[in-house]
Amino acid sequence: MRIDLVNLSFAYGHRIVIKNMSFSLGHGDFLVIQGKNGTGKSTLIKCLLGINPVKSGMIFYDHEDIVSFRKWPEIGYVPQRFEDFNYEFPITVNEILSVSQLKKNPPAERLELLDKMGILSLLNENINNLSGGQLQRVFVARAMLNHPKLLFLDEPTASVDQANVAYFYKTVNELRESGVNIILISHDDVVETLDFTHVLSIDNDLSYRFYTKEQCGKERGGKAV
Amino acid sequence: MMLSFFVDLFQQEFMLRALIAGLLLGVLAPLMGSIVVIRRLSFIADTLGHFSLVGVSVSLFLASVGFSAFFERPLYLGIIFSIVGGLLIELFRRYYKNYKEISMPIVMSLGAAVSAIFFSLSKRTGSLYTYIFGSILTINNYYVILIAITLLVVTLFFVLFGKQIVSVSFDESSAKFQGINLGLFQIVFIITLSVAVSVLLEAAGVLLVSSMMIIPVAAAMKVGWSYKSTQVIGILFSELSVILGLWGAYSLRIPSGATIVSVNIIILVVVALIRRMTLRRRVKVDPKITESDLEVLEEEKSA
Repeated sequence: MRIDLVNLSFAYGHRIVIKNMSFSLGHGDFLVIQGKNGTGKSTLIKCLLGINPVKSGMIFYDHEDIVSFRKWPEIGYVPQRFEDFNYEFPITVNEILSVSQLKKNPPAERLELLDKMGILSLLNENINNLSGGQLQRVFVARAMLNHPKLLFLDEPTASVDQANVAYFYKTVNELRESGVNIILISHDDVVETLDFTHVLSIDNDLSYRFYTKEQCGKERGGKAV
Repeated sequence: MMLSFFVDLFQQEFMLRALIAGLLLGVLAPLMGSIVVIRRLSFIADTLGHFSLVGVSVSLFLASVGFSAFFERPLYLGIIFSIVGGLLIELFRRYYKNYKEISMPIVMSLGAAVSAIFFSLSKRTGSLYTYIFGSILTINNYYVILIAITLLVVTLFFVLFGKQIVSVSFDESSAKFQGINLGLFQIVFIITLSVAVSVLLEAAGVLLVSSMMIIPVAAAMKVGWSYKSTQVIGILFSELSVILGLWGAYSLRIPSGATIVSVNIIILVVVALIRRMTLRRRVKVDPKITESDLEVLEEEKSA
């Protein structure tokens, strides 16, 4: 999926959070968005997901304006925290995956994905008994089962324990290899083990740097807007 | 005593009718109730009930001043007003985005105030008791058919759109990525719920409507291990409370709606106690009890 951001600006009231941001991603590109807290990473994602209405600038998915874009089921989104999810009422992993599946996946394919995500043994588990990392993997699997063309991962390792981070990144790399566009928000510095193609680094002063992996070494430390 | 209850059940038509209506409501209430609970809207049934009462009171008033036969059946206008109330809640929920629960007391007090005025104007304040506490023993065949139709429609909704209903109820933010129109979903849900509440009103009354929807589900949540099992257990608890409640009401000559709800509460308490006891035993027997179990235990203790 092709993504074009043209002169995007966004403000909450009078507080400007994003100013004149432009970048383009091609099919299969993998973008890592990094920056400290309060630099507008999540605001940008909300603009890209159509949650924040774009008033200044434009966003295009495959050359279609986000205002008229309707193919949201082609996009997967795994939020940072699942605070919108209504917990405590019992529901198993299998049930939550089944109800959110748009098309029926071939059973073998489904099992392979669940195995790869390390949640095959948790299928009959009530999701309220899962750890943060397990839950995160369930939600990634939920997005993956709908075969998105573009996948947003907001701080996906925030609640994954250290031992599983490398494993998680391996899965993300495999997704990218299969042709999925990925936009990953990272609180930390660029993670070398990730097979990303572009970096968007946002600073506190509304400036940003957008560069390819090859330019990564050169750009680090420098400041180009 | 139980035997004479069953003999009467099949000899007295009104008893059988009450039982059938009760059993149908026993499925309808927790079916809608589970979605209400998941979406954290437990007060909505109460609110809709109060607003439905406006329709009932206006109906009684119009009938008292000699208007057409339509108003002889207050349920019709009750359903219409319940839907209006539901749409008002939705309107206020969108207006107070961060304080969505504010919508409920606003609509509820409006409903209570307006219905009190019209009940008084209609000079039928006596019938207020029926609508506040319900009276399943005095309902007629027509009402039983109405419940059956409502249950059929709701069941059909669950069969056709069960996946979407469950998915959006647990996680509204995921609706868009599953191609579900959240706005439309909210409106259809609120209209269906409004109709269900109005239909429950005559049997359970305004004060007990939400108990029939919420309490069996609340008890089932503590023992269910999956969405489906919780749903089924909720319905079983609900049916049990209808049967025992009717029996209790018949034997002790006390109001039926109140007895059914009391049985519901007893089931909830028994479930909580049994769960607490089994959890304690597990702590003793199995030292590898999980953290979440201990949290639950602590929560229950502090409660």
